Amino acid sequence: MASRRMSRDSNVVRPFPFFRAGVRTDPSGAKRPVLVFEDVFKYFRPDVPTLRSVSLSVERGEFLFITGPSGSGKSTLLQLIYRQHTVDEGRILFCGRDIARLTADSVPFLRRNLGVVFQDFRVVPHWTVFENVAIALEILSMPHRLIRSRVSEALERVGLSGRGDDRTSCLSGGEQQRVAVARAIVAEPALILADEPTGNLDPHLALDVLTLFEEINLTGTTVLFATHDHSLISKRDHRLVSLEDGRLIESSEGLGGWHTRMRGVAV
Amino acid sequence: MDLKTAISRAKRGLREDLRLYLVAISSLTVAFLCLGATLLSVVNLSELASQWGRSRRMTVYLVDGARPRDVLQLRTLLEELPEVRSAEHVSASQARAQFLEQADLAGELGELPPDVFPSSVEVTLTGDVPIQRVTEIAQRLQRFGTVDEVETYGGWFGKLENLLTAGQSISALLAVLVLVCVLAVVGNTIRLAVAGRRQEIEVMKLCGATDSFVRRPFVVEGAFQGFMAALASLVLLLVGFLIVKGQLDSTVTVVTGLHAVFLSPLVIAAMLVGGCLAGAAGSALSLRRYLTV
Repeated sequence: MASRRMSRDSNVVRPFPFFRAGVRTDPSGAKRPVLVFEDVFKYFRPDVPTLRSVSLSVERGEFLFITGPSGSGKSTLLQLIYRQHTVDEGRILFCGRDIARLTADSVPFLRRNLGVVFQDFRVVPHWTVFENVAIALEILSMPHRLIRSRVSEALERVGLSGRGDDRTSCLSGGEQQRVAVARAIVAEPALILADEPTGNLDPHLALDVLTLFEEINLTGTTVLFATHDHSLISKRDHRLVSLEDGRLIESSEGLGGWHTRMRGVAV
Repeated sequence: MDLKTAISRAKRGLREDLRLYLVAISSLTVAFLCLGATLLSVVNLSELASQWGRSRRMTVYLVDGARPRDVLQLRTLLEELPEVRSAEHVSASQARAQFLEQADLAGELGELPPDVFPSSVEVTLTGDVPIQRVTEIAQRLQRFGTVDEVETYGGWFGKLENLLTAGQSISALLAVLVLVCVLAVVGNTIRLAVAGRRQEIEVMKLCGATDSFVRRPFVVEGAFQGFMAALASLVLLLVGFLIVKGQLDSTVTVVTGLHAVFLSPLVIAAMLVGGCLAGAAGSALSLRRYLTV
């Protein structure tokens, strides 16, 4: 399943995503990083910044782990991207556009270019699997016939083919998370934000979900995967950044270097 | 978001909160029923007033044994008046036959002799005769020896007009009260529905739904509530009207000369459209206040 998508998408340059329909795409945008944090500060308390001088650049098609202890600001970092909060200082550029300067009316159009997956799944329990996934396309006023085919495709990708009529409340935790992933990918966003998506899953399921995200990444979608689960991170060789005391630290030595820093030994 | 999608989402919402909406619609139906009943009364009073006004008339009761020559002279005098359109003599036997026909009581009162009913001259006036002129004509007629009594129906018509005016005022007041009811009930129902669907709304917003995408189905649901309440009240009112009419129509006709009518199609349409719009407005107001998106 993933290999078929790979061969179809591997040579496709993902188009420059636009925030409003009708805006002309800029071909040069395909060469720019998809996400850039420039010296970002975020305060929830006046004296203690949650994020402190965070600078980060994410290229198209990257898979990035974001790690750090609980309360380090991982979720806040992702929330700034989908404009749950706004930055207090600095800029966040998504496809070259400053997210902080978007008006409230434009935020929905930003979110249509993102897929977000949460630790608590955030699926509607009394809806069917189909309805939970289709909502992302109904919002785009897509014709129902097209919605049906896209949803079927998305469910197939996450391994829930034929489960469209099942009520989500009847699914296991892992399956509900797959529904959430399907909803995140069905609109083919430029960027997927995963905020501790495996936090409520057992290690076996967690690995399954991680593998799912990696398969999605192989098709060209950029993935930011926030987790404090080092057992997951250690199994993969993706780019890793960590948040410590509100500061973002790039770890070129992978998780090993991160552990070394945590123990206070100079690298 | 197109209307079709909004309606489809509203249908889903109605299914999910069916009990809540049934309670709301029941409450609103009572309010609309009160309004409908008042309007029905006003419509029939208005019809009666119109009928009495169109057939502005006098009844000149004749003494027993009035000579045909005197009756003819009286008729000729009346028809010469510019205010009089026609003056018809109704003999005692004719009056008896008319009464039995209207009252549909031929079986019970068929044995009554004709001389129980007085003979009369039924005078039809033109439509715009002032009441003072009618009274003046009646007073002149009283001087005739052939005339026993003149009935101008002025008192009845005055009372009817007062009743009609009061009925119209009450209808207007009730309409305002019903509007307030609809806004309040629908508003609170939608507020409860929004509270119950917080999770859905949150998911929709995360997927990039605009404010109107979230709000529009709720407005459709509010409009549906108002429409259904108005429709239910009209159906109940019609059933009640048909039952009452079947039992009392003959008596009403004898007393007033009127066959009761139901609300006109225009009034029915106005209630349905008004209910729909009021429901939508109630929902929109509630969303503005309680739905933070």
